[in-house]
Amino acid sequence: MQNRFLPYLLTLPSLFLAAVVIFWPVWDLIQISTHDVNRFGQLREFSGLANFASLAADPDFVAALWRTGVWTVLVVGGALLLSVPVAMILNTDFYGRGLARVIIMLPWAVSLTMTAVVWRWALSGESGMLNSALLGLGLIDHNIQWLASAETAFPMQVLIGILVTVPFTTTIFLGGLSSIPDDLYEAAALEGATPLQQFREITFPLLKPFINIAIVLNTIYVFNSFPIIWVMTQGGPANSTDILVTHLYKLAFRIGKLGEASAVSLVMFAILLVFTMIYVRLAMREQRA
Amino acid sequence: MSLAKWTVGLMAGMSMLAFAAQANAGEVRVTVAEYSAKTGPYFEEVKKEFEAKNPGITIKFEVVPWDVLLQKLTTDITAGTNADLSIIGTRWLIDFVQQGVAEPLDSYITPDFKGRFIDTFLSPSIMEGKTYGLPIAASARALYYNKELFEKAGIAKPPATWTELQDDARKIKALGSGAFGFGLQGKEIETDVYYYYAMWSQGTEILNKDGTSGLGTPGALEAAKLYKSMIDEGLTEPGVTSNNREDVQNLFKQGKVGMMITAPFLSNQIKDEAPKLKYGVAAIPAGPTGARGTYGVTDSIIMFKNSKNKDEAWKLLDFLFTTEQRAKFTQGEGFLPVNKEEAKMDYYVNNADLAAFTALLPDARFAPVIPGWEEIAQITSDAMQKIYLGGDPEAGLKDAAAKANAVLKK
Repeated sequence: MQNRFLPYLLTLPSLFLAAVVIFWPVWDLIQISTHDVNRFGQLREFSGLANFASLAADPDFVAALWRTGVWTVLVVGGALLLSVPVAMILNTDFYGRGLARVIIMLPWAVSLTMTAVVWRWALSGESGMLNSALLGLGLIDHNIQWLASAETAFPMQVLIGILVTVPFTTTIFLGGLSSIPDDLYEAAALEGATPLQQFREITFPLLKPFINIAIVLNTIYVFNSFPIIWVMTQGGPANSTDILVTHLYKLAFRIGKLGEASAVSLVMFAILLVFTMIYVRLAMREQRA
Repeated sequence: MSLAKWTVGLMAGMSMLAFAAQANAGEVRVTVAEYSAKTGPYFEEVKKEFEAKNPGITIKFEVVPWDVLLQKLTTDITAGTNADLSIIGTRWLIDFVQQGVAEPLDSYITPDFKGRFIDTFLSPSIMEGKTYGLPIAASARALYYNKELFEKAGIAKPPATWTELQDDARKIKALGSGAFGFGLQGKEIETDVYYYYAMWSQGTEILNKDGTSGLGTPGALEAAKLYKSMIDEGLTEPGVTSNNREDVQNLFKQGKVGMMITAPFLSNQIKDEAPKLKYGVAAIPAGPTGARGTYGVTDSIIMFKNSKNKDEAWKLLDFLFTTEQRAKFTQGEGFLPVNKEEAKMDYYVNNADLAAFTALLPDARFAPVIPGWEEIAQITSDAMQKIYLGGDPEAGLKDAAAKANAVLKK
């Protein structure tokens, strides 16, 4: 009998911690989002789902919602595609591997905001490094105004997003790769498997749990990522590069609509929760099968 | 646990809180905006001087970057941990007053104290007959022009009207030196204001007399068309929507822009960063009827209603608004004097740049004192960005006016 209760007892401290840092703020958000609230967060009368309704009617919110989807899929997808080969190369033994690993990890060591600030300068139309480099190489004949419109600004933001997501993803994959025993490859090579076959039959299947972890964690990080877009364009021009977090920030701290901002926050929380639950279930089922 | 034990615990906690509050008696916390690198050191000095003169009072300044000031105040007030005094944008004041966060200062203000201020700058902080803030920083906008480019292009004097400004911009473009005629700001803070300069010169105000948004009027359309035609003609810098105020100022400092409209602090920056640049300051161009307008801004320092040390806080305010302190702060930051005695100092009287700004003050418009102003500013900025990117001015303004009117009706 005691054995059955022990696990619950042992998880109690962390459950309590989770309650304090997760459930309490969420409860607070629910309070704010279902009330008429002034710009200093003081609650007035209960307003039901009015804040959510006005979000649904706001074309800027709907656009930001879709853009957040595009942003997350592109950045997470891009980072995964890039990280698998990078991790595989870094996992092989070659001269200067330590240095190569450090270089790949470096973007991770710099604060995201700082990276974004540097890129903002680099992408400046008249005095940016990128334009002068491209001009110098003869690839363009006049300055490109990278951040002037979403057509050029958003793809650049996605690329930077990928760049800063690669180190973390690569780290996960390196861990995964080092857990694959070498004799598997030796045996496969003995049987005459090509490198491509080795990748498809050994590396990829054994790496799968790590890919799943990378997808879930990166999706959560990237979905909530604020600095890159905020520093470079503040979601502009005319809200055309807004994702949900930047939209939320403007609603809350520029315009002072804390009720609607809390509603956005809850929508984001719900999306991530549902995504994570579905994904983890699918991944687990696959592993069991 | 029994109820008695809870009560004892609670009492103990409360007495500890009371003790903590007592330990803080005589401490005045002040949130100040960081206007420049000189702001922090200035307030350090203030702390030293004031504490030496007023033993028993300790001052704690929290220097916060301007961009996050409103966010910090919002979260502090929500949590009840706000300071005793804070600098705020005067355009936010109405929210603070309506929500009962700001303390009226009238009981402290003597006629003598009030007499220190220039009325134009004090009046935006007065609401419903009560003074809720004191103007700690004041600024206006004027036209900066590059004298060297003007000379090369054969332009004798700064433009008096927008038509002249367009002509001058064409001449500067024709030089073929890669310099742009007119620096147009199209990103971040005050993107809307940059558009108002053209709009005011058409005789259109931000709010019509009936309280609706001015964006739907023919004058607003003319102004938007003016800027759009200048972009289309290549008279502005390229990529307008990627340039915020600092970006355009930097282009001006590099001599790449012939004219731009901005605040007096650009003079200070030029003195430090581009001392060789030959520039002049002139009035903002007028429209066809001679109407013109500049943007007047004040930041106010307010006292919070929940402050526990109001008398001490007032002593600090009294100290901050002495002529000597004002002069030190204003000259360091490159603002306009708000204090009558200060304005008479040689520094201001003999300064041609500042004279151009003060001459514009009769034409100054302050941000309208209405709730939801920040939202209307955001709507206007968004609309302008769409137009600058090639959108149709008429449709864009109509849409923006409808949105602004919806906010105004609330």
